[in-house]
Amino acid sequence: MTDTIELLEAIGSDASLRYARTDELKSVLEQVQASAELTAAVAAGDSSPLRVELGIQQVPQAPQTHAPGHGDDEEDGESDTPQQPDRAPPSSSNQDSSH
Amino acid sequence: MTTPILSTLNVPGRGRLACVGLGMTLGSHLTPLARSHIVQADVVFAALSDAIAEEWLKRMHPDVRSLQPYYAEGKPRMKTYREWVALMMDELRAGKRVCGVFYGHPGIFAWSPHKVIEQARAEGFDAHMEPGISAEDCLYADLGFDPGQCGCQHFEASQLLYCERRIDPAGYLVLWQVGVIGNRSVGRFDTGPAYRALLVERLEQDYPSDHEVIVYRGATLPIEQPRIQRITLRELADVPLTAEETVVLPPAVTLQPNRAMLERLKALDMAT
Repeated sequence: MTDTIELLEAIGSDASLRYARTDELKSVLEQVQASAELTAAVAAGDSSPLRVELGIQQVPQAPQTHAPGHGDDEEDGESDTPQQPDRAPPSSSNQDSSH
Repeated sequence: MTTPILSTLNVPGRGRLACVGLGMTLGSHLTPLARSHIVQADVVFAALSDAIAEEWLKRMHPDVRSLQPYYAEGKPRMKTYREWVALMMDELRAGKRVCGVFYGHPGIFAWSPHKVIEQARAEGFDAHMEPGISAEDCLYADLGFDPGQCGCQHFEASQLLYCERRIDPAGYLVLWQVGVIGNRSVGRFDTGPAYRALLVERLEQDYPSDHEVIVYRGATLPIEQPRIQRITLRELADVPLTAEETVVLPPAVTLQPNRAMLERLKALDMAT
């Protein structure tokens, strides 16, 4: 059986496979003896079977970004985004420097 | 893999830091330079949102240390991010080549990479950030709009509630972290419809309640397709939403000409 992570990398980096139709990709995976879980994940368009195969769980409580919420409490008063501008914004514009 | 035509430089004992992005989709987005930082590092720290991507990263390096376990329900996120910085700095001070690998782009919605680079440079270390393909990049491709066409504002959603911000409905509006809006760092990873109802109320100051809202999530695995759901603004409070989804509002009004500036430009044209 071909390694699932290697197959995912191969699919992700091949222009013909990344956007292949489900039946075409399933056929390719069957030829290389991909795991039943990977084939099932492709068929369903859902990664859940892969997580079972790999013995890993999507960390349920982990945020998808790694930035504090705006107004996040700071231990030392320092903030990632200024809570107060250095000077008052001009009345004609309000520039966003958040991104 | 082709044989490199140049040998790799390695200065032993001199710590250096790189924060790189893994991109959004496994296998598709990792740049050659980011991969090189990973491979050449002595230790790799990983802050990835998908454990499968972390497994992929482990194939590239034997010492990958996940930063995810430092998150905890009820623990302020800022405390977690400071711990991440401290972990990377400890290895750097020990003379290691340290690579921090982050989901998407390491400098977008990621506090620690900016902070650890700043701290490393302040202590005299070489430190670099290598950009990665971000959720924002994927969003333009998957939703098929060009931010240069009529402009595009991005906000962390809570900022629209905490602060007086001016929305321009003639351009696109992209709202990040709507699923955790109103989360004041108490370590909760989602907030409920009541919080989003306040966002809808704020947006209705600039958009009609039946205005189209796109709920978007990019593909993280190459066997997935992006998820794109089109709803109305009034429905935004009630649809299931996590921090994975990004909310996009297309323009609601057409661009209006600035006649005074156009006249002045015309005068300049005629004078030159």
